[in-house]
Amino acid sequence: MTILKLALNNIKRRKTRSLLTLFGIAFSIAVFFSILSINKGFERELDRQLKKTGIHFMIVPSGCPYEVATLVLHGSILPQLLNADVLEKVRTTERLELVSPALVTQLPNPRAGRVDTIYGIDMADAFKIKPEWQIDGRLPADKFEILAGSAVANAYKLKPGDEITYTIENRRFKVAGILKETTTQDDAFVYMHIQTLQEIINKPQAVTAIFARAKDPAMLEDIIGDIYIKVTSVQIITMGEIIGSIMTIVSSAKSLGISIAVIVIFISAIGIINLMLTTVFEQTKEIGMIRAIGASRSDIFSMVINEAIVLSAIGGAAGIFLSVIFSPLIEKIVRNITPYVPGGRIVTFGYELAVLCFFFSIIIGAVSGLFPAWKASRLSPVEAIGG
Amino acid sequence: MLPVIALEGVEKIYRRGSEEIHALKDVNITFQEGEFISIVGQSGSGKTTLLNIMGCLDRPTRGTVKIDGIEVSTMNEKEISRIRREKIGFIFQQFYLIPGLTAAENVALPLKFSRKPIDKKYILSLLDTVGLDMRAKHTPDQLSGGEMQRVAIARAIANHPHVILADEPTGTLDTKNSMIIFELLKSLNSRGLTIILVTHNVAFAEKTGRVISISDGQMNSTRLDSKHITGSI
Repeated sequence: MTILKLALNNIKRRKTRSLLTLFGIAFSIAVFFSILSINKGFERELDRQLKKTGIHFMIVPSGCPYEVATLVLHGSILPQLLNADVLEKVRTTERLELVSPALVTQLPNPRAGRVDTIYGIDMADAFKIKPEWQIDGRLPADKFEILAGSAVANAYKLKPGDEITYTIENRRFKVAGILKETTTQDDAFVYMHIQTLQEIINKPQAVTAIFARAKDPAMLEDIIGDIYIKVTSVQIITMGEIIGSIMTIVSSAKSLGISIAVIVIFISAIGIINLMLTTVFEQTKEIGMIRAIGASRSDIFSMVINEAIVLSAIGGAAGIFLSVIFSPLIEKIVRNITPYVPGGRIVTFGYELAVLCFFFSIIIGAVSGLFPAWKASRLSPVEAIGG
Repeated sequence: MLPVIALEGVEKIYRRGSEEIHALKDVNITFQEGEFISIVGQSGSGKTTLLNIMGCLDRPTRGTVKIDGIEVSTMNEKEISRIRREKIGFIFQQFYLIPGLTAAENVALPLKFSRKPIDKKYILSLLDTVGLDMRAKHTPDQLSGGEMQRVAIARAIANHPHVILADEPTGTLDTKNSMIIFELLKSLNSRGLTIILVTHNVAFAEKTGRVISISDGQMNSTRLDSKHITGSI
């Protein structure tokens, strides 16, 4: 028989109260573990997604540059377009090996009852912008051909050679190729020639953003300076800045999340203190007997603190387990409530983080058990038995 | 030979606000090894207070308490715990077995707090002493009141104490079980163990070697029928 067995025995004796306290600990650790895991996965996926692009910077209409950049990446329609002369001026800038315009809009498909995000790009630049793309079929060559993202293809059950209709001009498009799953936002878009899209929306020069790649990334600062001299009313954002700014937003959200988790943990710690104090109160006579048969104050202190630690360790392990089990649900919720989420799995559970959270729960238990343990150890044996 | 327990000028005063309650008044008594003593008296007379002071569960307001010649009333908590562990075995009216633990695990508790290895054979032999070796794996809720008290007796002797302090151990038991418990105590005494029994049962008290009567915190009488008796009033 060990102190652990005594602790487990005590927990079993108060099933309902112990279960409620365990639930509180498990929930708080699950929240804490999930938030930390989401942040880690989010950062990794964002970095992966943006590094997959073959571009160094984006030129977008002036405004809040990071909002605009994330909107472009997310596939939303921007309220502003670049001025017509911007593209030509950027193209005349030296030391650039790629200048590629993009137009993002949405087109309704009433037959399917959905609205698709359409990305108009220069198909000749497709693999320069997205070097890791793999296509089932081919890139659109004909004016009215499209490339469907894998999620769109799945939704419409499309295969190369099929046709899709959008209401504007009731235009029918042939599916030239289907983008193999990238686990990024790209999967949710339909790609077509930018000129075709400009025609459809009746804005021949419309450009939402320009993707650019420098011949020498070390010269990026100078190139951007040159462009700012040539064109006004634009914002130029490097991919590094986009990652940094999105992560700043994510960090703020993380801080908020951790604050909430800390409050939840604090409440669960109060739950442990309450349970342990009630236990000490209810088992006063038992504690008196244990003192009478020779247990020292430190033995009583250890018994109570061990019980709190065992309780929080079980709760912590359950919380980590619940986080892993419900990770698809957590990911779905995060995607629904967060304005920009990169593709791929953003909830990533790491072994080290799990161990860290487990030990954190043990520390919570130990700290929460201190006062009840001290209280129990101070009980006079004669008063305990008499009381 | 040193007495197992010796009390000299022991007083115990409880304070309730400005009121002082003299639970024990100038108690001088010694208990020799191998004695079987009963302490009788009305409720509130001071019997349990005396037992608690002898068992190092409480400290006297004045006077000295010696166990095996060692002065314990001035010891710190750690030393007192050690004395309780090594020299004293307690039996309570309410048994105080830990629910959820088996009879064997309850008996092993004093060994655990003494940091002694727990030998299953030894635990079974203790349970055999009280006639419950077949109930070793039973939890308290599977035992009768009498059986629980027998487990408590096995627990009290686990650490080879010099003296057993039994506070009304038959108080909640029926006649048959009370007799079994008393016979067990007598049997332990016959093996040389000192037994101090607080009881309301006059029949049991009369069967012990010495009867100490307490009233209002004072020892009123002792019946001298043993060579060991050295108590004074």
